[in-house]
Amino acid sequence: MADHNDPNAVNHIFSDIDYTPADLYDLFGWPTNESRNVVLALTFASAPAAGVLDTDLLYRLLVTSHPRVAWPASGEISVESVLGYFDAVKDKYLGELKTAEIRVTVQTPSRVLVKFIGFPCGDFSKEVDVNTVVEIPTPDRQTIKAFIGGRDDAFFNDLTGFFRSINYAPQFYHVPHTMTEARELPIPKTLLELEGNDLFNYREDMPKWGFTQPDGTTPKLDLPPGPWTWNGDRFKKDANGNFRFVYDGSDCRAGQNCNAIVFELPHSFITPQTEQNRLVNAWGESWVLKAAHKIESIPDDPSWLNHPWKVIREKELDDELRKYKLVDTDGQPFADAALSEREDDRQLGANNFWLGPHFIKRLAHLGWGFGPSISALGLACSFDHDNSPVSVYKTYDLVATAFPKVAKTLFQQLNMPDDSWNPKGLPIPLRRPFEIFIPNVCAVDMDTSGTWPFGRRLEDQVATRFLSMFLDMEAEFQGKKYHIDLLGDQALWDSAPIVPKTPPNPLHNDKAFLDSFPYLAEPWPEKW
Amino acid sequence: MVETMATQSVLLEVPAAGFNGDLARAEKEVARLTAQCKDHPTDLQGKVRLAYRMFHRASLTGKLADLEPVEAAILQTILQFGPKEDLCLLKANLDFRLHRLAEARRDLEMAPLLPGRFDARVLFADLAFQEGQYEAARLELEKLIDENPTWDTVARLAHWHSKLGDPAQADALYEQAEEDLSAKQMLSYAWLELQRGMLDFNHGRYPEAWAHYRRAEAGYPGHWHTAEHFAEMHAAEGNFAEAESILKEVIARTSKPEIQQALGELYLFTDRAEQAQPWFDSALAAYLESVRRGDVHYLHHLADFYAEARLEPAEALKWAEQDMKMRPNFSTQSVMALALFRNGRVPEALQYIGLVLDAGNRDAATYAFASELHEAAGETGKSAEFAELALQKNPKFRSFRIHH
Repeated sequence: MADHNDPNAVNHIFSDIDYTPADLYDLFGWPTNESRNVVLALTFASAPAAGVLDTDLLYRLLVTSHPRVAWPASGEISVESVLGYFDAVKDKYLGELKTAEIRVTVQTPSRVLVKFIGFPCGDFSKEVDVNTVVEIPTPDRQTIKAFIGGRDDAFFNDLTGFFRSINYAPQFYHVPHTMTEARELPIPKTLLELEGNDLFNYREDMPKWGFTQPDGTTPKLDLPPGPWTWNGDRFKKDANGNFRFVYDGSDCRAGQNCNAIVFELPHSFITPQTEQNRLVNAWGESWVLKAAHKIESIPDDPSWLNHPWKVIREKELDDELRKYKLVDTDGQPFADAALSEREDDRQLGANNFWLGPHFIKRLAHLGWGFGPSISALGLACSFDHDNSPVSVYKTYDLVATAFPKVAKTLFQQLNMPDDSWNPKGLPIPLRRPFEIFIPNVCAVDMDTSGTWPFGRRLEDQVATRFLSMFLDMEAEFQGKKYHIDLLGDQALWDSAPIVPKTPPNPLHNDKAFLDSFPYLAEPWPEKW
Repeated sequence: MVETMATQSVLLEVPAAGFNGDLARAEKEVARLTAQCKDHPTDLQGKVRLAYRMFHRASLTGKLADLEPVEAAILQTILQFGPKEDLCLLKANLDFRLHRLAEARRDLEMAPLLPGRFDARVLFADLAFQEGQYEAARLELEKLIDENPTWDTVARLAHWHSKLGDPAQADALYEQAEEDLSAKQMLSYAWLELQRGMLDFNHGRYPEAWAHYRRAEAGYPGHWHTAEHFAEMHAAEGNFAEAESILKEVIARTSKPEIQQALGELYLFTDRAEQAQPWFDSALAAYLESVRRGDVHYLHHLADFYAEARLEPAEALKWAEQDMKMRPNFSTQSVMALALFRNGRVPEALQYIGLVLDAGNRDAATYAFASELHEAAGETGKSAEFAELALQKNPKFRSFRIHH
């Protein structure tokens, strides 16, 4: 899950909030060993340092395995059907689905206790050293590989470009945490610079504006007085008629580290019915010890009144977890940062079905911004933006009014660039956005290569793939149907009226991944 | 080797970072940000972080002198960049800490939208409380908690109840505030435990008070503020030597004149008037120097000093009047009553203690003083009633106590 700097409570972008090891970054998952094993890798902020863990933190990897469920080909595309799907997910995750858990508690900065809870062979635990690959034997005589420690951050992304595309003020301006109205400013989201959008358009005199520097600072400007709006009516074009891309393809995480919890698990360890349960779903959580439990335990009282999902969660807590507070969750890339808008109370993990209606409205809002950008480039768009010549800032109060515009975006199957995702050539349906983001899990299909959205491999450029949801998958480019890697194809940008002519995000990580466990590359020497 | 699953993980004994660790980190961060701001003089965000970290460091040391560069940094940054919300909020908090209430209000109004912000509204509630608008303060705090029950807002309502309402409710609210804190907030947790301990102390429940104070120390070891409460507990239980030793240590660390005064009062309490005088001299010099600089933070302490430590009734009255004019609340009214009493103006003193009681304050010390005043007024029946109330509130109210 590409989820740096969220939720807002741990968002280091704000000047008065400290960096914290509770900030989860990504969750990767893919099959290995000819689909007999699955790798799950949860990365998070390397605080206090890469390879050094914080003893106040507890991390959870929650894991389920169940059969692949396909949306019926003749299934109705409607608000009712998608909300019905959300309800079905809720019933499954709150009802019959048994979730197992790998829990990591930090005993010392260099040693952790790993507990395996709720797996078919029974509960067990093991203390392991940090920064070391270890093999953990299971009660049913299988072997789990584990690595907990410092790694190169496997996320490669033009974060600044992403923030520019959503007009996210705190990346470019000094915005105190208290100024909640000055985050995503009410300016249309866009992939192409808007004529006159001086608040966010690239500045020749300040090329590093909004880019985090090696010394940890991010050049920012003083936020001018409002209103922070845009009253233009066109995309910006240069003298040659080219649009200006809000992305420049740079890797904002180059040379930076993370801490990681990586496991390679036999599928048969997760479920005895491996033939039937071809999906492995996982999501990650970070919890911080409560102050009272630094010293002793005090019983909790659940808050029944305003947050029913918190009530449900409270019921699930065991004695150990009651000593901690949930801080962050991680499942699908961009589910939290782009769709849940980093809100603190939307950190729900797999239980995000409650947010289903919000996601529809949010996706429609994004569609009004990104859709016209895509069309302006001559590409076919899945979002119905009424042929708007320019991005529009539009929000919705009602799901019913948002839905018609975003229905195709939600329900279209996402084409893959080739067949490598399906090495066995099985009749596995292509995935659709509505089922990717709810529940908010990394859903690894064991019969695939695990490339997103059938999991998430380290080399997947998920940020670019996320944007591809707004392409019309029925259209063609150079004789081939659109697919999720099209926006990463240099040939597309070479022929587009745009500068810079680059895919939005880097195509590769700054460091080569390893061929063997733990697969994430070694950490860089810490710069600060 | 596979190990059997424990039902709960056993946390290894890792020493809490505590005060020394925090102070070292704060110093390091201030140094780093200072260098960064020197390299990037137009970096507003860096300068705001620096100001906040300097304020944090000054809060840790407890030295008023450490607040001066904070104010300078804030003002310089405002001069350079204009009245940004976070700077104005920090300035307002600084002024409030120094009892400069009118300035705090002006600070909050420097940025147009700041008065409506949650953090600013919290400070406005604090100001209302200090200015004697108790009900308005309580209602606003309850409203703020409904909107967003942050630990510090809940703690403020707890404080309200501890002074003017129901002590049991106060303790429940402090506990609620604690529940919201993570292990990254042990300083705040320790502070809450100290408040809960003081509730018990003020009701004569010494074992319970000790338990809270020890938990504060265990959770955040080495804080002089916790030591101050330990000293008070020891003195209250007659362990004067231990109390004296701890107070001297706190003085060595913080140079706080009010702690010097407390040590002097401990000597007075234990019939060592001669030993008290150097500490009183030192405390008084610091108070007067502060006033000479135009500060108002020690007006309250000066009134108390001349009314209790070194009797000069006219001086006590002078400073009490000045303090009460700025902050017309039950605390300043109580010292005003004492100052009037020292000046032989018993009926007026009774009026002021009446205001304190009408506000809802039910401290044993207030009852005891009311008893003394009624006795002086020849109202022995009422005097006896208040004496009885004092005993009911806190059977140990005559023990040594520090004026916090």
